[in-house]
Amino acid sequence: MFSLKPPRPTFRSYLLPPAQTDDQINFEPKIKKLEPVLLPGEIVVNEVSFVRKCIATDTSQYDLWGKLICSNFRISFITDDPMPLQKFHFRNLLLGEHDVPLTCIEQIVTVNDHKRKQKVLGPNQKLKFNPTELIIYCKDFRIVRFRFDESGPESAKKVCLAIAHYSQPTDLQLLFAFEYVGKKYHNTANGINGLPSGGGGGGSSSAVGGGQGPQTPLFETYSDWDREIKRTGASGWRVCSINEGYMISTCLPEYFVVPSSLADQDLKNFSHSFVGRRMPLWCWSHANGSALVRMALIKDTLQQRKIDQRICNAVTKSHPQRSDVYKSDLDKTLPNIQDIQAAFVKLKQLCINEPFEETEDKWLSSLENTRWLEYIRTFLKHSAELVYVLESRRLSVVLQEEEGRDLSCVIASLVQVMADPYFRTITGFQSLIQKEWVMAGYQFLDRCNHLKRSEKESPLFLLFLDATWQLLEQYPAAFEFSETYLAVLYDSTRISLFGTFLFNSPHQRVKQSTEFAISKNIQLGDEKGLKFPSAWDWSLQFTAKDRTLFHNPMYIGKSTPCVQSHSVKSFKRTKKSYSSTLRGMPVPFKNGIISDQQLLPRRNSLILKIRPKPPQPAKNQNSGMEEYFQEWFSKPVDLHGILLPHLSATHIKLWKLCYFRWVPEAQINLGGFITAFHKLSLLADEVDMLSRTLRQPRASPGGPCSAERDQSRMYFQASGPHPHSTSGTPEFLSSSFPFSPVGNLCKRSILGTPLSKFLSGPKIWLSTETLANED
Amino acid sequence: MNLLSGLLEMELLRIWMKLSPDFRERLGLLDSTLILDVPLGVISRIEKMGGATSRGENSYGLDITCKDMRNLRFALKQEGHSRRDMFETLMRYAFPLTHSLPIFAFANEEKFNVDGWMVYNPVEEYRRQGLPNHHWRITFINKFYELCDTYPPLLVVPYRASDEDLRRVAAFRSRNRIPVLSWIHPENKTVIMRCSQPLVGMSGKRNKDDEKYLDVIRETNRQISKLTIYDARPSVNAVANKATGGGYESEDAYPNAELFFLDIHNIHVMRESLKKVKDIVYPNVEESHWLSSLESTHWLEHIKLVLTGAIQVADRVSSGKSSVLVHCSDGWDRTAQLTSLAMLMLDSYYRSIEGFEILVQKEWISFGHKFASRIGHGDKNHADADRSPIFLQFIDCVWQMSKQFPTAFEFNERFLMTILDHLYSCRFGTFLYNCESVREKQNVTERTVSLWSLINSNKDNFKNPFYTKEINRVLYPVASMRHLELWVNYYIRWNPRIKQQQPNPVEQRYMELLALRDEYIKRLEELQLANSAKLTEPSSSPASPSQMVPHVQTHF
Repeated sequence: MFSLKPPRPTFRSYLLPPAQTDDQINFEPKIKKLEPVLLPGEIVVNEVSFVRKCIATDTSQYDLWGKLICSNFRISFITDDPMPLQKFHFRNLLLGEHDVPLTCIEQIVTVNDHKRKQKVLGPNQKLKFNPTELIIYCKDFRIVRFRFDESGPESAKKVCLAIAHYSQPTDLQLLFAFEYVGKKYHNTANGINGLPSGGGGGGSSSAVGGGQGPQTPLFETYSDWDREIKRTGASGWRVCSINEGYMISTCLPEYFVVPSSLADQDLKNFSHSFVGRRMPLWCWSHANGSALVRMALIKDTLQQRKIDQRICNAVTKSHPQRSDVYKSDLDKTLPNIQDIQAAFVKLKQLCINEPFEETEDKWLSSLENTRWLEYIRTFLKHSAELVYVLESRRLSVVLQEEEGRDLSCVIASLVQVMADPYFRTITGFQSLIQKEWVMAGYQFLDRCNHLKRSEKESPLFLLFLDATWQLLEQYPAAFEFSETYLAVLYDSTRISLFGTFLFNSPHQRVKQSTEFAISKNIQLGDEKGLKFPSAWDWSLQFTAKDRTLFHNPMYIGKSTPCVQSHSVKSFKRTKKSYSSTLRGMPVPFKNGIISDQQLLPRRNSLILKIRPKPPQPAKNQNSGMEEYFQEWFSKPVDLHGILLPHLSATHIKLWKLCYFRWVPEAQINLGGFITAFHKLSLLADEVDMLSRTLRQPRASPGGPCSAERDQSRMYFQASGPHPHSTSGTPEFLSSSFPFSPVGNLCKRSILGTPLSKFLSGPKIWLSTETLANED
Repeated sequence: MNLLSGLLEMELLRIWMKLSPDFRERLGLLDSTLILDVPLGVISRIEKMGGATSRGENSYGLDITCKDMRNLRFALKQEGHSRRDMFETLMRYAFPLTHSLPIFAFANEEKFNVDGWMVYNPVEEYRRQGLPNHHWRITFINKFYELCDTYPPLLVVPYRASDEDLRRVAAFRSRNRIPVLSWIHPENKTVIMRCSQPLVGMSGKRNKDDEKYLDVIRETNRQISKLTIYDARPSVNAVANKATGGGYESEDAYPNAELFFLDIHNIHVMRESLKKVKDIVYPNVEESHWLSSLESTHWLEHIKLVLTGAIQVADRVSSGKSSVLVHCSDGWDRTAQLTSLAMLMLDSYYRSIEGFEILVQKEWISFGHKFASRIGHGDKNHADADRSPIFLQFIDCVWQMSKQFPTAFEFNERFLMTILDHLYSCRFGTFLYNCESVREKQNVTERTVSLWSLINSNKDNFKNPFYTKEINRVLYPVASMRHLELWVNYYIRWNPRIKQQQPNPVEQRYMELLALRDEYIKRLEELQLANSAKLTEPSSSPASPSQMVPHVQTHF
């Protein structure tokens, strides 16, 4: 077993998190102080003592003293100073409170204030002055600042250079994940640890909750795809193994799904004509048989018409009603990846801009000018339109894009999140990311820019998470996961330990890790490359208790506990929920290929029209869509059916938890949605508990308080051993929860609310009444 | 613009429209034949549109501008000259004051089982605050409105200031609105005082009694710090006010006071700002450049300044740094906003339904916010420069706070919207007239029904399910553009395209869970009954459901 024992917390915790059982076991007084606890394969490269971590720009009163360490995985600040002002921290088991993974570093700035010099450090650069200050700008919008006034000037300089060097590696194999996984294999050889298990993208991927939930399908195997075909009830589609050993394409998975009518030989022949040999891949099928397909452009202009025709015919044949194919050319309808990157850069600049006050006056127009929200809206809108085509017009949809591995990932996933409630569960959502991102060859390495070669960077994955958040915000009871889950998932893309978000394609993992294994003398046996841990193995990062925060207390799942009662409704997805929305909607077309052109005006289309224009003029189809949306919105929402986003400008919002959580000035103490979430959790937990009691009327003497308690899926529990689980709002809650911006640089006190307010929180008067309540 | 056809009807209180059956069908409405319901009080302006010779569909009829962000247009048939009658009737009843008719509230004979007029009793409210005490006394000097005709009869002033002192101070404060106590901190005993500007004038007049009075206020708590004066106005405006005899407390005259300007603009600026908000949301929402359009209205910026000012007041007082004196020019617009918001932040009592009613009753109604002038009840002069959405702005600030603290308020969004609807409707006497002296003369409490009667007799409709009662917690909202939002559910509620999910899905889910819990508890009790029926079987299990149910219940 690849049982990575969660490392002991690097630092003593002064916070209030609920006591962990493993903490209690490991509890022993620490003799050695200020020593980091390293992960397997982690090496301290350089360190410097007597460093001050700055908390506020206008006072050094809150600064912390400690040791700054640069390892091949992270920069770590180890301090004995408690953070008395911070009341809570969601603890990542891989990272200490002040740690920043090297892959999360955006920019390193060294300053010497005596010489009034400042330098942005690239890799292998020289530094002509001894820095008095180091400022780290992180990809997650954090700003961390250290002062070296009392530390050795030479060692300070060395640490800065080491950070610059190690955070900007020249080669993929220099990323920490390789060292880590290599060490694991070595240990295995020495008989220390068991063999890693699970798929290549990662080990086993247990569910987030405490117990053994369903595993996330990784889509690395034939059977995962086969199960997905069966799950969606698709007919006319088959799993194809021609790419086994990546013989056809290095950017496709080994197994994928194609129309049954296309033989392997046909596919092999066609594949040459597609960019990257990325032939049509099935994504998903609607219960009515309409399929969602993605493919690259056909580069062979001579063959273009013919192949396109064959593909479309094959997709049509795979449709139970032999319905037509609707093509959506994403490159022509959506902003490109550079536009999206530019928008994100502007958004980041706006969010971290110093000082806080300066961005206030023009905040709204500046936010608009980033275009980030506009792009989110565009992607949601386009996806919703495709849902209309799939569901109401019952046409199969083919997404077409140059390489078919960027915008297609976003659109294919959003369509499925809107159309299939399975993808709104945690396991489903993770399997969607495996299916449409990891396996489909989304270039995480380049797009996340782990190697700091910026020209290919683009935050499409974040765009998808943000768009999902918009849906969650609009339909809070439709998702099994919480916004914390989405934010933590985003953070996981910047921890270079998981195989999930490290590579440009499954093939790259196999190739690079095989090379690495050979160079390190690791015996791979029959395995295809090294098995990196999976991001879906959340137990590597969070305790079972912390993982319960991923659960949305509002979710009405199919597994919602229900008594054998007629009055308590059980929620089951049936075909009825699909067909109910189809009422009275005629299928407007028989045969013939329809393109975006008729729905959305666009320039030149590659689509061949075999038949003369269908009878209805373009305007009618547009109004058909309008009508569909209007009808959908006029009805009560079926949370286990189709979900369509509200798209008015007033509905698309900034995802504050994600973008403001590290900004102390923007933190609402004892407020924010989390306070309502807290109340909801208590109630949901009580309902769960009652339902358990009802199912086992002769419960054990401990009742729901002992063993049963562990089953709770809620972070906040209706009653229990924890002091903060009383019905009042716990003091550590803030709009940033479960993240705490307090350890990060606070730029200036905001109008009216002095800095001390952010740090200490509102004062609570101790009156006899409050004291009485605490009993 | 949406077109509907139907029958227009009018009552003394409201106009409403019944849809013709074919429209009803097209909209898929089965039961609700009532599609439009407009209280006459909400009408700001009525205009005729088109003439007898107008051509084209819907070009002839009436155009009605409302005070609540919507316009209505009724297209009429040209034949029969029905419009003139309709126009005149509407004019008469929408603007009764202009036509020397009584306001509808006086004709309203609704009965409720709660009397909202009993909600606010100043003596009780001051007693709740621990007043009078060694330093503060209740004075009846204004019993007959002789000291100040826009103040309530009952005032709280420093113990050491005699009634004679108060009279002399009144001479130096605009409209005799002397500094009086609004709120006292239960522990550190610092206070929030409110008043109007001092009558300094161009010559820089001074008044020894006023100076001494402020010093007495400063000394009421054991602190020796300076008294903090927050002048709500931008400093330029405060200076300009000297030309008309007003001004502010100079450092020379008040060495023991510290003066800060809060840069909140006057009623005219606020009115224009709200007008711009209407322009971008009605009849269509400015979709393409929504955020920059919103920014250009400056509405949220004004909200931010008001909240920021209130946060500063609350922070001064709660940190025990010093007592605070708040004023603007006359002390009935911005001053009311600041004191009431600061009190809402400091005192959790005001965050309950009744507490909030008391807050409005006290800081706004009794201290003479000029509702009649600001809203223009029953008055056809829609362009009156005295009209301004100051109270709306306050409610908006409260809504912003409730967004930031979803569990801190006992009331929900509907409560705030209902208050605003009846701010205009003239159905209740609550917001009629400019001050208590006039209300007393008009016998408002005897002749009209209070809005709080409606609300308090249907309290459940206005309750926030997430409310967690907490005592003595100070709320500091973050007054940053990053968190302030346009109140879409209120300002854009007339736009059918921006239909918000009603009720709010989070609230709805909570209510469902509550129902589920009750259902389970009921079943558990049934089980327990069934078990106890089997008494013949000697049960040794100590954990029968009977013990678990109370365990669960204790929590709620």
